[in-house]
Amino acid sequence: MTAPGDAVAPLVEMRDMSVSFGGVHAVKDVTIDLFPGEVLGLVGGNGAGKSTLIKTLSGAQAADSGQIFVEGEPVEIHTPIDAKKWGIETIYQTLALADNIDAPGNMFLGRELTSGIGNLDDSAMEDATRKIMGRLNPKFENFKVPVSSLSGGQRQSVAIARAVHFNARILIMDEPTAALGPAETDQVRGLIRQLKEEGIGIILISHDIHDVFDLADRISVMLQGRLVGTVPKHDVTMDEVLAMIIIGKMPEELTQTELADLHG
Amino acid sequence: MDAIAWSGMVCTFGNREQMAVTEDKTTTSEGALAPQHAQASPYPGGVRGLISRAVTSLEIDTRMFGMIIGLVVIWVGFHIWTGGTFLTPRNLWFLTVQTAIVAIMATGMVLIIVTRNIDLSVGSMLGFIGMFMALMQAEWLPSIFGFDQWYTWIIVLIAGLILGAIIGLIQGAVVAYAGVPSFIVTLGGLLVWRGLSWVMAHGRTIAPMDVTFQLLGGGARGTVGGPISWSIAIVASLAIVLLLISRRRNRLKFGFRVRPFWADLALMVLGPALVIVAVWFLNQYYMPEAVAQQFAQENGLEVPPGGLEIPFGLANPVLIALGTAIVMTFIATRRRFGRYVYSIGGNPEAAQLSGIRTKRLIMLTFMVMGILVGLAAAVQIARLNSATAGLGTLQELSVIAAAVIGGTSLTGGVGTVFGAVLGALFMQSLQSGMVLVGIETAMQDVVIGVVLVAAVVADVAYRRRQAA
Amino acid sequence: MKRSRHLFALLAALAMFVAACGGDGADGDTSTSAATGATGGEGDITIGFSWNNFNEERWSKFDEPAFVAAIEAGGAEYIKADAASSAEQQLTDVENLISQGADVIVILAQDTQAILPAVESASSQGIPVIAYDRLIEDDRALYLTFDNVGVGRIMAEVLFEQVSSGNFAIIKGNGSDANSDFLRAGMEEVIGDAVAAGDITIVCEEYTDDWLAEVAQETMEQCLTQNGNDIQAALVENDGMAGGVVAALDAQGLAGQIPVTGQDGDAAALNRVALGTQLVSVWKDARILGQIAGEAALALAGGAALEDIPDVIEFESPGGNTMTSILLDPTPITTENLNLVVDGGVISQEDLCQGVAAGSVEICG
Repeated sequence: MTAPGDAVAPLVEMRDMSVSFGGVHAVKDVTIDLFPGEVLGLVGGNGAGKSTLIKTLSGAQAADSGQIFVEGEPVEIHTPIDAKKWGIETIYQTLALADNIDAPGNMFLGRELTSGIGNLDDSAMEDATRKIMGRLNPKFENFKVPVSSLSGGQRQSVAIARAVHFNARILIMDEPTAALGPAETDQVRGLIRQLKEEGIGIILISHDIHDVFDLADRISVMLQGRLVGTVPKHDVTMDEVLAMIIIGKMPEELTQTELADLHG
Repeated sequence: MDAIAWSGMVCTFGNREQMAVTEDKTTTSEGALAPQHAQASPYPGGVRGLISRAVTSLEIDTRMFGMIIGLVVIWVGFHIWTGGTFLTPRNLWFLTVQTAIVAIMATGMVLIIVTRNIDLSVGSMLGFIGMFMALMQAEWLPSIFGFDQWYTWIIVLIAGLILGAIIGLIQGAVVAYAGVPSFIVTLGGLLVWRGLSWVMAHGRTIAPMDVTFQLLGGGARGTVGGPISWSIAIVASLAIVLLLISRRRNRLKFGFRVRPFWADLALMVLGPALVIVAVWFLNQYYMPEAVAQQFAQENGLEVPPGGLEIPFGLANPVLIALGTAIVMTFIATRRRFGRYVYSIGGNPEAAQLSGIRTKRLIMLTFMVMGILVGLAAAVQIARLNSATAGLGTLQELSVIAAAVIGGTSLTGGVGTVFGAVLGALFMQSLQSGMVLVGIETAMQDVVIGVVLVAAVVADVAYRRRQAA
Repeated sequence: MKRSRHLFALLAALAMFVAACGGDGADGDTSTSAATGATGGEGDITIGFSWNNFNEERWSKFDEPAFVAAIEAGGAEYIKADAASSAEQQLTDVENLISQGADVIVILAQDTQAILPAVESASSQGIPVIAYDRLIEDDRALYLTFDNVGVGRIMAEVLFEQVSSGNFAIIKGNGSDANSDFLRAGMEEVIGDAVAAGDITIVCEEYTDDWLAEVAQETMEQCLTQNGNDIQAALVENDGMAGGVVAALDAQGLAGQIPVTGQDGDAAALNRVALGTQLVSVWKDARILGQIAGEAALALAGGAALEDIPDVIEFESPGGNTMTSILLDPTPITTENLNLVVDGGVISQEDLCQGVAAGSVEICG
């Protein structure tokens, strides 16, 4: 995908990724890439393979074949820890927060700050959380309550703060606004723009085509485990992307009838 | 014992997982956050308001507070019912000893249940490890080294703890790696360990225990005496004050909100006061004359005309249980291990995605449980001065009940070590009180069963109210 | 104790099930016992014994040798089967013993009811049946056991000789176990009058879940607390619980001063008797049971009717049958007759005398 002569190497490139479950190809020969400060929208219907594809990047799912490059270097990602080592952080659809633990505990889950003899340093973790939240969501105040008692938007900001704090260069967001109300959705959109400005590359998975058109620079469409194609947002209309999602045809292959049928 | 544990842990535990929920009620809507100290100005009306305000400022877990109130109520109730026998130093002293064994195991059961598992095998395991340790000191070791060597107890105790760890590790590995539900694995364990304990001794009762080993179980000699009990009280009091100060300093250093100064001061007075009162009270339990005479003889004391008043002091099983509770609280709240255990209970997927090796961790919780069962088994056979074929039968139920009454939720993620110890004390208070007033065994079971369910009903209602 | 046996039995049954499904693993249920040294075909009497579970040490160690000795003295041949705690297996075992030509069948029943078809089938072929130690609810069987009510009576008698007034604690076994009440009834025969007269006050009387020693210990602790140690005697229904009670007394420096009873002849309890911390352990000498059973079997094989067996009495079973029975008196073991258990091989002198001060008990020197 990278055009020859591009000054910047892609932040990450997934080349010819395939995953199958018991003979069913969930992902088949998919290649995508992502540049610094770019939001790549990854869209497709249910079961299109989006989540499976990004799980191979976040280390939650092993790929059967394919190769991942981070800044041009081939890397091996087998576990979430491997992914984090390369600056790849993931915000899952299920939020991946432990509900019974407070915001600092969740932010540092698996990477706790400890004192010299290995005791948890809760104050330091709370301090770091307060600092990062001051930047991302200054209204956030509930640092000592279990996150189960936070609103959806607050929880999402905890999840995002976690990624940001650990210097994510590549951020994968799986349906970040699915469970949120309109005001909270706006808040999260604001966050995404802020991160983008900081030069972080974001892969945004969403059902919501409006989300994607609002935020993404380029859009990759998947259908039945295959990549239909990747298009710059400014070159396409929403209908054309819908056609890619539903029919699996690129805009240039599309007939007017097919486009009309989309709304029929 | 409760006083030490209570004040020692309030400061480390007070505002973790559960208690903080109380604060939340004022701050549910995003952005509309009332800073905590703002609450200090308006006085809610009435005495109830005053108490709830004090509880909030002191950051005492309201649920724990409720349990302590419940405990006080049944203590006073039994005191009246028994015509003044219950709240005597002697009865409370025995209550602490009788609670110790279940309390030791309950501290581990909390972690198991927090990870959404269960261990039904602890009673049988206690029987098996107890029988193993009994045979070791009554038959195997003496046949090599002779009876009552000074080192026998150490070898036996360590062997018991190792055996417990191995059993726990085996059960934990099957649960974690083979993916068999813990209910089934430990139900199997319940049968296997009971059966093997029978096979090992053919149903015989093994006795007596090594003389030094017996000290682990309390009894007439297994106590630390008055002076050491006082020393422990002083050390514990100092520890409470230092912990509170260092915590306050630490929070101030980061510029975090701290308790109002009066609240911290109150805790610094209240905590040590409770410890000292508890030890003072228990130290009023003097050796019975027969024991005191012997003690005087052995120590070359003169017997005054009025008779001797030598306090037993805290019993070894109680100190072991307290030590266990403190260590387990530390592990649960101050170490990664504990944090991960709670995260698995809260959201296993999240824990795994955060890079936590959840399977290994679950296996380890069972290993910890096994070690604690080994410790409890040592105390049990030392206290009984024998190991019987039925040793530990139905103990799993007491242990699980203690954890649950203490606020551990079977849906996982929620529970405290201190709560479980309090739960064990609560159950034992009921049981001992009912024996004192002469309620027949069958009715005792009825009462305890009802209380268990009632406690969980209250807990569920409480949580629902908190969540609303 | 009871519970754990059940669990173990369940486990064994599972194991059997697995073995049976795995092929012909579960063979050898019945066997002619050459090892017992039967003199081989001398007489033509064959006596079959169906054991419910030979894994329990007691049967092989005490009952069987005494039984075999008795019948071999009469020139009979011994054949046996082990049902490994399975009531179904035991039915098959009895049929096998019949087909091997047993003239009398002795049954240690796994279950008092489930064994009835086997008794039916033996009786219909004219083969006498002896119910060994455990009741079989069929009045055609000769019921041979120790007198459980008698155990309670003997405990109380020995204790009553020492202490005939004051505050008594009674620690009973499991509430749902009929034996607990039999034992208590036997005690009542001895102390009932003194209680009625006000000489004895029963200050604590509690059942004990599953006969658990640790539960008995707590009960005794509470009892002592409640009465400010003012207790003169403890009637305890078995040795395991007696261990718990003695531990509770020891914590008050009262072990050895307050007499405690028990039963079973546990090694640990016999040691306590030698130490003086337990007054008595009522012992059912299994060898006597084995011997009497052997003699009765010979007599029945010789054509005697049930009523003609020496010392038989009529016994009303819980199931309403009038059983022809021999109820043996158990032996109270106190410091006076500890030699009996050493001679009987129940316990070695070394174990019996562990920790016993020199010169305090005769047998310990």
